[in-house]
Amino acid sequence: MASEEDSAVKEPLDLIRLSLDERIYVKLRSERELRGKLHAYDQHLNMILGDVEEIVTTVEIDDETYEEIVRTTRRTVPFLFVRGDGVILVSPPLRTT
Amino acid sequence: MSGTGEKGSATTKTPGDFLKAIRGRPVVVKLNSGVDYRATTKTPGDFLKAIRGRPVVVKLNSGVDYRGILACLDGYMNIAMEQTEEYVNGQLKNKYGDAFIRGNNVLYISTSKRTLADGA
Repeated sequence: MASEEDSAVKEPLDLIRLSLDERIYVKLRSERELRGKLHAYDQHLNMILGDVEEIVTTVEIDDETYEEIVRTTRRTVPFLFVRGDGVILVSPPLRTT
Repeated sequence: MSGTGEKGSATTKTPGDFLKAIRGRPVVVKLNSGVDYRATTKTPGDFLKAIRGRPVVVKLNSGVDYRGILACLDGYMNIAMEQTEEYVNGQLKNKYGDAFIRGNNVLYISTSKRTLADGA
Protein backbone atom coordinates (compact mmCIF):
# COMPACT_ATOMS: atom_id res chain seq x y z
CA MET A 1 0.00 0.00 0.00
CA ALA A 2 2.40 2.69 1.12
CA SER A 3 4.81 2.25 -1.72
CA GLU A 4 7.93 4.32 -2.16
CA GLU A 5 6.14 6.37 -4.74
CA ASP A 6 3.51 7.37 -2.22
CA SER A 7 6.17 8.77 0.06
CA ALA A 8 7.10 11.13 -2.76
CA VAL A 9 3.66 12.74 -2.47
CA LYS A 10 4.28 15.79 -0.29
CA GLU A 11 1.59 17.99 -1.75
CA PRO A 12 -1.48 17.08 -3.77
CA LEU A 13 -0.01 18.27 -7.06
CA ASP A 14 2.75 15.68 -6.70
CA LEU A 15 0.10 13.12 -7.47
CA ILE A 16 -0.39 14.80 -10.84
CA ARG A 17 3.35 15.11 -11.42
CA LEU A 18 3.76 11.38 -10.91
CA SER A 19 1.13 10.83 -13.59
CA LEU A 20 2.93 12.69 -16.37
CA ASP A 21 3.03 10.63 -19.56
CA GLU A 22 0.50 8.24 -18.08
CA ARG A 23 -3.13 7.83 -18.97
CA ILE A 24 -5.29 9.55 -16.39
CA TYR A 25 -8.94 9.91 -15.61
CA VAL A 26 -10.32 13.43 -15.25
CA LYS A 27 -13.76 14.26 -13.91
CA LEU A 28 -15.04 17.63 -15.07
CA ARG A 29 -18.00 19.82 -14.31
CA SER A 30 -21.24 19.29 -16.20
CA GLU A 31 -20.93 15.50 -16.12
CA ARG A 32 -17.93 15.22 -18.38
CA GLU A 33 -15.19 12.66 -18.04
CA LEU A 34 -11.91 12.39 -19.89
CA ARG A 35 -9.37 9.63 -20.23
CA GLY A 36 -6.13 10.46 -21.89
CA LYS A 37 -2.38 10.68 -21.67
CA LEU A 38 -1.18 13.58 -19.56
CA HIS A 39 1.43 15.55 -21.48
CA ALA A 40 1.57 18.68 -19.36
CA TYR A 41 -0.20 20.49 -16.55
CA ASP A 42 0.16 23.57 -14.38
CA GLN A 43 -0.87 24.73 -10.94
CA HIS A 44 -4.36 25.62 -12.15
CA LEU A 45 -4.78 22.06 -13.41
CA ASN A 46 -4.81 23.31 -16.98
CA MET A 47 -3.80 20.19 -18.81
CA ILE A 48 -2.68 18.98 -22.19
CA LEU A 49 -4.08 15.54 -22.86
CA GLY A 50 -3.42 13.26 -25.80
CA ASP A 51 -5.53 10.46 -27.30
CA VAL A 52 -8.49 11.57 -25.25
CA GLU A 53 -11.79 9.83 -24.87
CA GLU A 54 -14.49 12.22 -23.69
CA ILE A 55 -17.64 10.84 -22.10
CA VAL A 56 -20.57 13.18 -21.61
CA THR A 57 -23.43 11.92 -19.46
CA THR A 58 -26.84 13.49 -19.73
CA VAL A 59 -29.85 12.64 -17.62
CA GLU A 60 -33.29 13.41 -18.96
CA ILE A 61 -36.57 12.89 -17.17
CA ASP A 62 -39.27 11.27 -19.24
CA ASP A 63 -42.28 13.60 -19.25
CA GLU A 64 -44.80 10.83 -18.77
CA THR A 65 -43.17 8.13 -16.72
CA TYR A 66 -40.76 10.44 -14.87
CA GLU A 67 -38.09 7.84 -15.45
CA GLU A 68 -34.54 9.02 -15.65
CA ILE A 69 -33.00 8.39 -19.01
CA VAL A 70 -29.22 8.35 -18.81
CA ARG A 71 -27.38 8.90 -22.07
CA THR A 72 -23.66 8.83 -22.59
CA THR A 73 -22.00 10.35 -25.59
CA ARG A 74 -18.43 9.44 -26.41
CA ARG A 75 -15.95 10.99 -28.73
CA THR A 76 -12.23 10.79 -29.15
CA VAL A 77 -9.96 13.77 -29.55
CA PRO A 78 -6.30 13.48 -30.53
CA PHE A 79 -5.18 16.47 -28.52
CA LEU A 80 -6.98 18.50 -25.91
CA PHE A 81 -6.22 21.56 -23.81
CA VAL A 82 -8.33 21.43 -20.66
CA ARG A 83 -8.91 24.59 -18.69
CA GLY A 84 -8.23 23.90 -15.03
CA ASP A 85 -11.28 25.54 -13.53
CA GLY A 86 -13.53 22.82 -14.91
CA VAL A 87 -11.63 20.05 -13.18
CA ILE A 88 -13.20 18.29 -10.21
CA LEU A 89 -11.04 15.20 -9.79
CA VAL A 90 -7.97 13.66 -11.35
CA SER A 91 -7.06 10.04 -10.86
CA PRO A 92 -3.86 8.45 -12.04
CA PRO A 93 -3.89 4.96 -13.48
CA LEU A 94 -4.13 2.22 -10.90
CA ARG A 95 -0.65 1.45 -9.72
CA THR A 96 0.38 -2.13 -9.30
CA THR A 97 -0.41 -2.91 -5.70
CA MET B 1 -1.45 17.79 30.80
CA SER B 2 0.75 20.18 32.77
CA GLY B 3 0.71 18.12 35.91
CA THR B 4 2.56 20.78 37.87
CA GLY B 5 -0.64 22.32 39.07
CA GLU B 6 0.62 24.21 42.12
CA LYS B 7 -1.83 26.58 43.60
CA GLY B 8 -1.32 30.17 42.66
CA SER B 9 1.34 29.41 40.08
CA ALA B 10 -0.96 30.38 37.25
CA THR B 11 1.06 31.45 34.24
CA THR B 12 -1.84 33.29 32.61
CA LYS B 13 -1.37 36.99 33.04
CA THR B 14 -3.63 38.56 30.47
CA PRO B 15 -6.77 37.39 28.71
CA GLY B 16 -4.61 36.83 25.62
CA ASP B 17 -2.25 34.56 27.59
CA PHE B 18 -5.22 32.62 28.77
CA LEU B 19 -6.44 32.07 25.22
CA LYS B 20 -2.99 30.88 24.16
CA ALA B 21 -2.76 28.61 27.17
CA ILE B 22 -5.99 26.78 26.48
CA ARG B 23 -5.16 25.82 22.91
CA GLY B 24 -5.51 22.10 22.56
CA ARG B 25 -7.37 21.81 25.87
CA PRO B 26 -10.98 20.77 26.33
CA VAL B 27 -13.17 23.82 26.73
CA VAL B 28 -16.78 24.80 27.09
CA VAL B 29 -18.00 27.81 25.13
CA LYS B 30 -21.29 29.16 26.40
CA LEU B 31 -23.31 31.37 24.10
CA ASN B 32 -25.70 34.13 25.14
CA SER B 33 -28.44 31.84 23.96
CA GLY B 34 -27.43 29.40 26.68
CA VAL B 35 -26.17 26.84 24.19
CA ASP B 36 -22.94 25.10 25.21
CA TYR B 37 -20.27 23.96 22.79
CA ARG B 38 -17.82 21.46 24.25
CA ALA B 39 -14.75 20.53 22.24
CA THR B 40 -11.02 20.73 22.08
CA THR B 41 -9.74 24.08 20.86
CA LYS B 42 -7.97 23.99 17.54
CA THR B 43 -7.50 26.20 14.58
CA PRO B 44 -8.59 24.96 11.16
CA GLY B 45 -4.91 24.59 10.30
CA ASP B 46 -4.35 22.36 13.32
CA PHE B 47 -7.22 20.21 12.19
CA LEU B 48 -5.85 19.93 8.67
CA LYS B 49 -2.41 18.94 9.98
CA ALA B 50 -3.91 16.42 12.33
CA ILE B 51 -6.03 14.54 9.82
CA ARG B 52 -3.34 13.48 7.37
CA GLY B 53 -3.32 9.75 6.99
CA ARG B 54 -6.76 9.46 8.55
CA PRO B 55 -9.96 8.23 6.93
CA VAL B 56 -11.98 11.23 5.82
CA VAL B 57 -15.13 12.21 4.03
CA VAL B 58 -14.75 15.06 1.57
CA LYS B 59 -18.00 16.64 0.47
CA LEU B 60 -18.03 18.72 -2.69
CA ASN B 61 -20.31 21.62 -3.50
CA SER B 62 -22.11 19.33 -5.91
CA GLY B 63 -23.08 17.10 -3.00
CA VAL B 64 -20.85 14.22 -4.06
CA ASP B 65 -18.95 12.55 -1.20
CA TYR B 66 -15.47 11.08 -1.41
CA ARG B 67 -14.39 8.67 1.27
CA GLY B 68 -10.82 7.55 1.62
CA ILE B 69 -7.50 8.10 3.33
CA LEU B 70 -6.28 11.67 3.23
CA ALA B 71 -2.77 11.61 1.79
CA CYS B 72 -2.11 15.34 1.85
CA LEU B 73 -3.59 18.73 1.12
CA ASP B 74 -2.40 22.24 0.34
CA GLY B 75 -3.46 25.83 0.92
CA TYR B 76 -5.98 25.75 -1.89
CA MET B 77 -7.56 22.77 -0.21
CA ASN B 78 -6.50 20.63 -3.12
CA ILE B 79 -6.63 17.13 -1.73
CA ALA B 80 -4.82 13.92 -2.48
CA MET B 81 -6.64 10.82 -1.28
CA GLU B 82 -5.98 7.11 -1.37
CA GLN B 83 -8.42 4.22 -1.65
CA THR B 84 -11.09 6.70 -2.62
CA GLU B 85 -14.74 5.82 -2.98
CA GLU B 86 -17.17 8.16 -4.71
CA TYR B 87 -20.69 8.36 -3.33
CA VAL B 88 -23.52 10.07 -5.18
CA ASN B 89 -26.76 10.29 -3.22
CA GLY B 90 -25.26 7.87 -0.73
CA GLN B 91 -24.61 5.25 -3.40
CA LEU B 92 -21.14 4.02 -4.23
CA LYS B 93 -20.47 5.02 -7.84
CA ASN B 94 -16.75 4.70 -8.34
CA LYS B 95 -13.46 3.77 -6.76
CA TYR B 96 -10.09 5.32 -7.39
CA GLY B 97 -6.75 4.09 -6.12
CA ASP B 98 -5.46 7.62 -5.85
CA ALA B 99 -7.45 10.77 -6.42
CA PHE B 100 -6.65 14.44 -6.66
CA ILE B 101 -9.56 16.73 -5.84
CA ARG B 102 -9.32 20.35 -6.94
CA GLY B 103 -9.79 22.52 -3.87
CA ASN B 104 -12.38 24.90 -5.26
CA ASN B 105 -14.95 22.09 -5.32
CA VAL B 106 -14.55 21.24 -1.63
CA LEU B 107 -17.41 22.05 0.73
CA TYR B 108 -15.98 20.31 3.78
CA ILE B 109 -13.57 17.68 5.03
CA SER B 110 -14.64 15.53 7.89
CA THR B 111 -12.97 12.65 9.68
CA SER B 112 -14.73 9.35 9.45
CA LYS B 113 -14.54 6.29 11.62
CA ARG B 114 -15.30 4.07 8.68
CA THR B 115 -13.01 1.12 8.38
CA LEU B 116 -11.85 1.11 4.81
CA ALA B 117 -13.66 -0.78 2.11
CA ASP B 118 -14.02 -3.88 4.19
CA GLY B 119 -15.97 -5.36 1.36
CA ALA B 120 -14.50 -8.76 2.13
